[in-house]
Amino acid sequence: MIIDFLQQIFNGLVVGSIYTLIALGLTTIFGILGIAHFAHGSVAMFGGYLAFFLISTLGLGLLPSFILAMLCGALLGVVLERVAYYPVRNAPPINSFIIALGLTLIIEKTNLLAFGVDQVIIPTPFNRVFSVGGVTMPELRIYVLLTAAVLVGGMTLLIQRTWIGKAVRAVAQNRPTAALMGINVNSVSMFVFALSSALGVAAGVLIGALFAVAPGVSEGLVVKGFAVLILGGLGSIPGAIVGGMVLGVTEAFAAAFISSGYKDVISFLLMIAVLLVRPEGLMRGKAR
Amino acid sequence: MKKLLTFSIAAAMLAAVPAIAAEKTLSVGYSDALSGGGAVYGVPQKKAIDLAIEEINSAGGIKVGADNYKIKTIEYDDKADSTEATNVARKLIDRDGVQFILGYCCSASGGAMASFIGKEDAIVLVGTAGARSITSLGNKNVFRTRPPGDYTGAAAGRFIAEQGVKTLGILSVRDVALFTQYRDALIKAFEEAGGKVVALETFGGHDRDMTAQLTKLRGLNPDALFISGYVEQVAFSHRQAAELGIKVKRFGFSGGSPEQFLKVATNEQMEGVWDLLAVEFNADILGPKAKAFVDNYKKKYGENPTPNTAYAYDQVYVLRDALQAAGTVTDLKKIQDTLRNLPVPKEALLKYLPIDGKMFDGKGQAYISNGAFQWTNGNWKFVAELPSDAVAYSNFLKTVRD
Repeated sequence: MIIDFLQQIFNGLVVGSIYTLIALGLTTIFGILGIAHFAHGSVAMFGGYLAFFLISTLGLGLLPSFILAMLCGALLGVVLERVAYYPVRNAPPINSFIIALGLTLIIEKTNLLAFGVDQVIIPTPFNRVFSVGGVTMPELRIYVLLTAAVLVGGMTLLIQRTWIGKAVRAVAQNRPTAALMGINVNSVSMFVFALSSALGVAAGVLIGALFAVAPGVSEGLVVKGFAVLILGGLGSIPGAIVGGMVLGVTEAFAAAFISSGYKDVISFLLMIAVLLVRPEGLMRGKAR
Repeated sequence: MKKLLTFSIAAAMLAAVPAIAAEKTLSVGYSDALSGGGAVYGVPQKKAIDLAIEEINSAGGIKVGADNYKIKTIEYDDKADSTEATNVARKLIDRDGVQFILGYCCSASGGAMASFIGKEDAIVLVGTAGARSITSLGNKNVFRTRPPGDYTGAAAGRFIAEQGVKTLGILSVRDVALFTQYRDALIKAFEEAGGKVVALETFGGHDRDMTAQLTKLRGLNPDALFISGYVEQVAFSHRQAAELGIKVKRFGFSGGSPEQFLKVATNEQMEGVWDLLAVEFNADILGPKAKAFVDNYKKKYGENPTPNTAYAYDQVYVLRDALQAAGTVTDLKKIQDTLRNLPVPKEALLKYLPIDGKMFDGKGQAYISNGAFQWTNGNWKFVAELPSDAVAYSNFLKTVRD
């Protein structure tokens, strides 16, 4: 029983770490620009497809492909910000909302045209399974967890310890004042999009390796990402980290101890409960 | 005299016209999942249909009376989705004006079509879609080659019990009629044979992480697992079950090709797994016609046909035989009656179990036998026939409408 309990925590943390990566991008963009960037899931899928293409067609290694895909993701983020969101930065919020929906369709369909309709699984050489006191841990899942932890740690350091991170936090707190202090808010927007999209792509590659990249996967991913945002608090980075893990583990527990039929229902009930009891989110109010 | 001669020649030419068969085109609609989760069935099914059409066209087409019809398809992607499938059927009938529709790999799309097609002027020849309602609704204009899920499910439940399994854990897709009907029939037959189901766990349409459900099943320690759903999800379930160290027998129902499974799981993770399904296309069992089909399919597409391809392939020959026997391409009533009394076409790949000598029963349903296939050294190996009864099921089908 205790082994199953620990196994479910491990299962939940692996999936939760991917939710966290998606939610981190969404929450930073929301924190800085107030945009609900629905296309984030499709950007993640694009990254997964791209990594697969780099590995299977160009014959690059797993790690170089992963890094190259993240760089391409960053570039795509900058392009999206400049072409799609920048022109409507002073327009009513509904404009960027509609643009976000349009972008989702454009990227999703471009993925279909460029990479086809089949599900794609990124090949990895990691087939070993470790067993620690009865809890089985496939090698690949351990690497997914570690990669996510490194990326989340790096992102936190970047935001907390660097000059550009300080600028991002300043813009998030008060955009006009940050501009008055001499921060180039336009570059900060571009930087945030680059960073978020790179993280999104990382999530896409991890999903592609652990599960599969396929049409239709991105919708579910964005819904889960926003659920994490609400759990953790809109715009909160620690919130996205804690929220992602909480959602992942809750889903695993819901399936194990209540009913797998209601797995998604239960995680959304949790979201509603947080909205009722602590509408600012689990971690909101702490450092942003 | 000259005038008379000219007249005679003209008359002779006119009289000769009907003797030369006119080349005509018969537009046939095609609705199937060409993208999304159902595409693993829909795309191969489309390829098989295209192959059959190519064969018929190059052999001269369909001879109806004095005319020779070459088949041309008008195709749309229904994404295995009920709304899309309804739109596609409307488009095909109202805008493109087709009278014959092929395709339907999946229950959601096929079920949606069957819910309203009875009142339309069109004949639908369904391939792989397994939801019972597609034929049980009793539409006069719907014919299907694939037997419904519960026909096979009941046989599978008896088979699992015969293997000495006393307790069974089930993991199955939540809301696809083919799989839920199969699963419910399996549970009923398994429990009637004295078995006990310890837990019924489910997953959703886009889920690929079943570790939570499998961990729970592992904790309950049943004699065997039964896993059913679309190929990709079942393949992930088998991979994750092996990763979780689950050692018990694993039965399943999905009908995927070895290539499709090996994209997700390794050969070691699949070794010994059972797939319990209608004896779909399998070149080793079905003889030389089937081997020729594999060769032609491979030559054209550079890959092996999936097990479900034959359902749709056979339907194209059903259409040809029915039109030739009816001698019309427009009198739908007559074509329907011909279909209802049609013997199995000689080109058909599958071994049908005719009901009263006819390919389709009163509800337009055809039957084939069910078999147990076991994964052995990277391939599905036919091991045994499942205990199934087509006549009894056909009688049962008469009594239901859902």
